[in-house]
Amino acid sequence: MISINQLSFQYEGGVKPALVDITLEIPDGDFIGIIGRSGAGKSTLTYALNGIVPHYHKGDFYGSVTVDGMDTVETTPERLAELVGSVLQDTDAQMITSTVIDELQYGLISYGIDDIDGRVDEALAALGIADLREREINSLSGGQRQKVAIASILALKPKIFILDEPTSELDPASSRMVFELLRTLNQTGVTVIVVEQKIMQLCEFCDRLIVLDGGAVAFDGGVREVLTHSEELEAIGVHVPRIVTLAKTIGSDKLPLNLDEAEAMLREVLA
Amino acid sequence: MKGFLEYIPGDSILHRLDPRTKLLMPLILCLACFAADSILLLFVILLFDVALGYLGGIGKQTLRTLSKLARIMLFLFVLQILFIQRGETLIPLIAGLRITDEGLRTAALVALRLIAATMPLATLLSLTKLDELADSLVVRCHVPYKYAYGVTAAIRFIPEFSRQMSEIIEAQTARGVEFDTKNPFRRIAMVIPLCVPLLISSVRKIDGTAMAAELRGFNLRGRHNIRCTSRFGLSDGVGILVCLALAVAGVLL
Ligand SMILES: Nc1ncnc2c1ncn2[C@@H]1O[C@H](COP(=O)(O)OP(=O)(O)OP(=O)(O)O)[C@@H](O)[C@H]1O
Ligand SMILES: [Mg+2]
Repeated sequence: MISINQLSFQYEGGVKPALVDITLEIPDGDFIGIIGRSGAGKSTLTYALNGIVPHYHKGDFYGSVTVDGMDTVETTPERLAELVGSVLQDTDAQMITSTVIDELQYGLISYGIDDIDGRVDEALAALGIADLREREINSLSGGQRQKVAIASILALKPKIFILDEPTSELDPASSRMVFELLRTLNQTGVTVIVVEQKIMQLCEFCDRLIVLDGGAVAFDGGVREVLTHSEELEAIGVHVPRIVTLAKTIGSDKLPLNLDEAEAMLREVLA
Repeated sequence: MKGFLEYIPGDSILHRLDPRTKLLMPLILCLACFAADSILLLFVILLFDVALGYLGGIGKQTLRTLSKLARIMLFLFVLQILFIQRGETLIPLIAGLRITDEGLRTAALVALRLIAATMPLATLLSLTKLDELADSLVVRCHVPYKYAYGVTAAIRFIPEFSRQMSEIIEAQTARGVEFDTKNPFRRIAMVIPLCVPLLISSVRKIDGTAMAAELRGFNLRGRHNIRCTSRFGLSDGVGILVCLALAVAGVLL
């Protein structure tokens, strides 16, 4: 479980706080979507969970974050990383080595995990990139790199999986595949926290949405519950799915979150 | 300089050498060049450098590097000839300047030496996987992981930097900026202002990589958990012996 208690953080040299008085409880097994306009503090919030803040990015840190009872200020990022796997927003920067296979092995070797080859094959297969195994990172496309980045963390089998815009360079089919994969992981008990701009994906897959604005939590709750605030969401730069707006306009009491539900709603209205 | 120092995959005998050998051979050859005082021997070393390129299956790139280095050295060569005025006059020039036998010899030595000394490093590094080099330095040479990774990251940085530079130049050219000027000074004057933003973005990227490495146990790595399969073999011995022989010849001749 993660608990964040009155967390505020301002980067060294930053002009205003990146996170403002955040209090959140994230129980094990949640599937959480984080959304908010650019600069809202989404990445910084993920840094607070994996220890990058305050260990790597220094600044004014108030409040506390505990992950499974470990205080992130007192635990080193590499220890936290045994629990919390992070796919960073900047995929290029995440590439530590120069070949796909080395990239996947890197964490496994650091943490002295036994079945390295098995884990690598499993992770490559899960993302459908077994054919990239021996490739040079330099020769990969942006989307392929993104899959390698996800696979390299997946191979570590973290208990808490944080992904910062993991599908920004993927085609629609691949993004779906990644979200399906996250759902499967979530069903085995992994806590999934995903920062994402594509709200439709979040609505379909997440149980809970956290909307950030100016470093503070603007909304936090079940997907439907948060979406009922569509006007407020638009005002803070979060575009609500059209289908939700439509449902509101025609005065439906249900909010459809995927095509099937939308179809059901429309049939009901037309009947 | 696109692709300079970038790893070129392959399965040649040089690719399969121990990474340590590929670091040691250029070092010995470099010493050989600085010890050598014979133009003939320097030519032999230069030939050996080119042969290495062909042996590694990157003959074309090697020749391209050679011609680039030669063009830079030509400038140095001419300067040296004009500066060294000792010895017998071969050709008198204007304003009391002359080309002397000693000037010609020294200039040729300096130019050849610099070319022959730097080429093997470029050739062999582009045949070496930098991760393997780092791992082998840690496991076999007891270099702390932090330093070994630092060195290889610095080497990796060079092609990355030049790739980004050529991307920017391409983008600027597409907008109508003419980089294709013949005048090297103008060209340099146009490229220097691009270096600052490029450095900033590169530093930012390195910062991100360091962060990612920390999240995957960078600080936990060391001799005890890194895997290194490379070992010295017969071809490593032969390679090092040839280089040593050239170095001995350099000292003696
Ligand atoms: N290293 C840093 N130093 C100083 N300020 C920073 C740093 N990184 C981020 N910030 C600032 O902190 C705030 C939050 O940034 P953050 O990267 O968390 O936003 P984000 O929601 O992830 O945005 P995006 O959608 O663009 O990724 C921004 O105002 C940003 O300018
Ligand atoms: Mg971000």
